[in-house]
Amino acid sequence: MIDFMRNMLAMIELELRRLRHDRTELYTRAVQPILWIAIYGPIMSGVKAIPTGGIPYTDYITPGVLIQSTTFVSIFFGLIMVWERESGILKKLFVTPASKYSTVIGRSMSSGVRAIFQVLIIVPVALLIGVRFIPDIAYFISALLIIFFASGGFASISILVASFMKTRERFMGIGQAIIFPLFFASNALYPVKMMPPILQYFALFNPMSYVVDAVRGLMISGDLTDLPIDLLAIALFDAIMFVAASVSFKRIIE
Amino acid sequence: MEFAIDVENLTRVFEGKTRALDGVNLRIESGKIFALIGPNGAGKTTLMRILTTQIEPTSGEAHVLGLDVVKHGAEIRKLIGYIPQEMSVWTDISGYENLLIYAKIYDMASRERRRVINDALKDMGLIEFKDNLVRTYSGGMIRRLEIACAMLIKPQILFLDEPTIGLDPSARNAVWEKLVSFKSEYSSTVFFNTHYMDEADLYSDEIAIINRGKIVTMGTAEALKHCVGGEIIRLSMEGNSVSEDFLEKVRKLNVANEVVVNDLEVDIGVGDAETALPQVMEVLRTGHVSVKKISLTKPSLDDVFVKYAGTRLESIGTIREVKEVRDRIRR
Repeated sequence: MIDFMRNMLAMIELELRRLRHDRTELYTRAVQPILWIAIYGPIMSGVKAIPTGGIPYTDYITPGVLIQSTTFVSIFFGLIMVWERESGILKKLFVTPASKYSTVIGRSMSSGVRAIFQVLIIVPVALLIGVRFIPDIAYFISALLIIFFASGGFASISILVASFMKTRERFMGIGQAIIFPLFFASNALYPVKMMPPILQYFALFNPMSYVVDAVRGLMISGDLTDLPIDLLAIALFDAIMFVAASVSFKRIIE
Repeated sequence: MEFAIDVENLTRVFEGKTRALDGVNLRIESGKIFALIGPNGAGKTTLMRILTTQIEPTSGEAHVLGLDVVKHGAEIRKLIGYIPQEMSVWTDISGYENLLIYAKIYDMASRERRRVINDALKDMGLIEFKDNLVRTYSGGMIRRLEIACAMLIKPQILFLDEPTIGLDPSARNAVWEKLVSFKSEYSSTVFFNTHYMDEADLYSDEIAIINRGKIVTMGTAEALKHCVGGEIIRLSMEGNSVSEDFLEKVRKLNVANEVVVNDLEVDIGVGDAETALPQVMEVLRTGHVSVKKISLTKPSLDDVFVKYAGTRLESIGTIREVKEVRDRIRR
């Protein structure tokens, strides 16, 4: 267990060191979510067609847009890990005493590091645009932790999917193919109640809904009634994805 | 006696049809530099991946440092170093940081880390570049960084898969110089795969040739070359014909195993060309026979390879065949 934690921390440190050398990707990836908050949000809030429970529409979508953005980061991070198997990096890691599982899970979790930095770039811009966050540092940090742990699960989804792909060229479209269904069938842009029944059913199994709900409660609305269910759902999602990704990854390196 | 590597009747079948290894038997004494040579697709990498516990054999047994590769993978991984054929360092962090991450994975005590990493970088001639991003390193420097990384834990066996593939000759020499000093400093066993015959010849204590999943022969470079026959002294004679009297005298020499005349060229088969040559010269001198040119031919590992694999290294399999085998193995 100590070995497991140590290897995971080493993987997270690797990610921090990478970011210290080059942060360009964080900035370019921040453009899209900022456009959602700065343009889509204000325009749609003029329509006043979406019941947000009294929250300004831009504020309402901010957590959803943040999660969509960090999920993008995680999904592509998982794909990169599968690319690494074509280089020698994973082969060498698998010949260290660290267990294969801790390597796969550690790499998934370190996508959370990137996700948090992504949030820290977008939030100040959202503040400037006029989004009102709950001014409680404990709430904010809790939200970051939830994003961190959820990111690991999303990175695992992409490891799982990418492990069935034979060539790296096919990976490119997959990121979008995973994220947009999750995004549109979640409560990121509108309440689940507004969806057609079949989509509502899908949203029930959509991990992104639970992450958005938890983060929205902690950052914007202060409504934490569903937080325990959200946390349970996220923990379950992570556990299932970690196991599935580890098993499928073990299969493809052989 | 305890062997560093002991492999018995090892097979590995991929997807039920590709027999990458087909009954490999191999014993390597510790402290030796061992070279496994063979054409692309012969099973070199598969054998190394089994020995480094990345994949399991289909049947047969393999022991590394006395430990079974299937049952004691975790213990083996603490004792061995491995450098895959493909680049295995992160290029977007510095050389020092690469080693730091591995030092942490290997659970090196924090007070020792800095010293051990700096020593390894110094030994590999990379200390001046330690804070540069690996992206800016040359191919040879990246290989040396990988060796530095393997040195961190002072492995008892270092596995190298095609260590100098794609490097220019001077970088190859530098890499080998470092490997040899690494080996003598830690008295480690070095096991490397290569398809460069000259490298195996120059640096290894022992060589095995693998072809189509089987070890076809094994021994020191000298012994292997000796097996394919002795050395040849070739005389290119002056004049219009070769004197029978001279040939008679040469045939009588103890050192001459065989004399073959081909027009104006006389090939004398001998055990060791350097010691036989003075005697041949003596015959030439006393018989007043003049020669245009004398050349010595020694068998090369290529000749050994031709004998045991039945074909030259370069000509085995088309690139397509090799690619198909690799794709099947990789899936």
